[in-house]
Amino acid sequence: MQRIHCSIIPPHLLTRLAAVRDARLSVASEAARHALLELEPVLQSREAALARPVRQGSAVMGTLTRRVSDAGGREELPGTLVRREGGPPTGDAAADEAYDGLGATYRLFSEEYGRSSVDGAGRPLDATVHYGANYDNAFWDGERMVFGDGDGEVFGRFTASLTVISHELTHGFTQYSTNLEYQGQSGALNESLSDVFGVLVEQRELCQDAAAASWLVGAGIFTAAVEGTALRSLAAPGTAYDDDVLGRDPQPATMADYVVTASDNGGVHINSGIPNHAFYLAATAIGGRAWEGAGRIWYDAVLNGSVPPDCDFPAFARATHESAEKRFGPGSPEAGAVVDAWTQVGVLP
Amino acid sequence: MRIEITRSGGFGGLTRTWSLEVSRTEAEQRWLPLAQAEAADDPSDDPAESSEVTATGAATGAPAGAAAPRGGDRQRDRFTYRIAIGYTEVHLSESHLADPWRELIDRARAATPASGPGKPEELL
Repeated sequence: MQRIHCSIIPPHLLTRLAAVRDARLSVASEAARHALLELEPVLQSREAALARPVRQGSAVMGTLTRRVSDAGGREELPGTLVRREGGPPTGDAAADEAYDGLGATYRLFSEEYGRSSVDGAGRPLDATVHYGANYDNAFWDGERMVFGDGDGEVFGRFTASLTVISHELTHGFTQYSTNLEYQGQSGALNESLSDVFGVLVEQRELCQDAAAASWLVGAGIFTAAVEGTALRSLAAPGTAYDDDVLGRDPQPATMADYVVTASDNGGVHINSGIPNHAFYLAATAIGGRAWEGAGRIWYDAVLNGSVPPDCDFPAFARATHESAEKRFGPGSPEAGAVVDAWTQVGVLP
Repeated sequence: MRIEITRSGGFGGLTRTWSLEVSRTEAEQRWLPLAQAEAADDPSDDPAESSEVTATGAATGAPAGAAAPRGGDRQRDRFTYRIAIGYTEVHLSESHLADPWRELIDRARAATPASGPGKPEELL
């Protein structure tokens, strides 16, 4: 395992100190020369780590750095910075919810899995709220998360559910880890990872174990006019809403109902119901805190290099089985629960 | 001539459909050339990256090629649009939506008060 030291004295100061020939500073000068010798391999390995497009582990531990901006109802990014790390609440619900949600998501990855921010290297977390007029969406643009206020008829503001914020931020995590292609089954896995870690962030904040959790994504962002509790359910895909205007939640829970469609990048938000449900089945079978059991297994699978960008459902199922065996042992109840879950949704035979 | 706009994707994965009637002259002089230009503008061979214009009515049963919209980039949870102008279809990603299309979408939304039905399009 590679260790990377963090030096608080910048290299250019060390260089100057090391060059000092004054006898009164000989100790400091010697120490600086020694530190520079140590620093060389550190800088080299850090450079190599930063050059890699995909990082498999945390290279440089960073700290939480949030920046929330306000687009003021225009479709322009990033908008005006309204709250930076450590700043006082703005009094604007959307901005403060985004700030808190980014913190909760950061804490799950950092405190449970030891990952520093989405890229494993302390990348600042940027968000923009009040994007567009009556804008019915939240998205990740490759660098930041963006939240609309909703149209007021179907959707209220998208920051009202923590799972929406954690879902978007997890797209950043996926981008910097497996970078699953956003089409078909790999796209549905990309979506599913965002839903899975999205609900785990909320469960951890609420101290809920697998049996007590709602397993809902986007609860509370529909207006009262909509017949529905949330946008998606990991416990029962296809049941989150059934409304006159919106129709019925189209998510399948098993491969028997896999939806072949050209819309939505090949149904990435639809067929994600299948890996979502597999995660739910594994997590409830293992029991306890889902982020420590099934969540840890899914996280390991993503980080251990066996999930290629064009991964399909069976390959992902095998990757989670392998990581369950690696962490909890072959034949362990956890490994068995993972195989059973994928079998129940029809991905594994 | 009837123009039908179907929006899919987005965080919620909800499909919404709006439509409006335009004169044949407007369709032929404004929207059909724009739809053709979308395909011509994009030199990409990668279907996941390109906008595509297809004629409906013929066999468009192969979903992979039929609708892969622009946006094979790092954007996630963006909307995708299918705009059908008579028998011509264009598929566009929200992140590459030119102003005239935005205007057309706004008009269609305004012309369809009880938006719906929410049935996902092209489900097989």
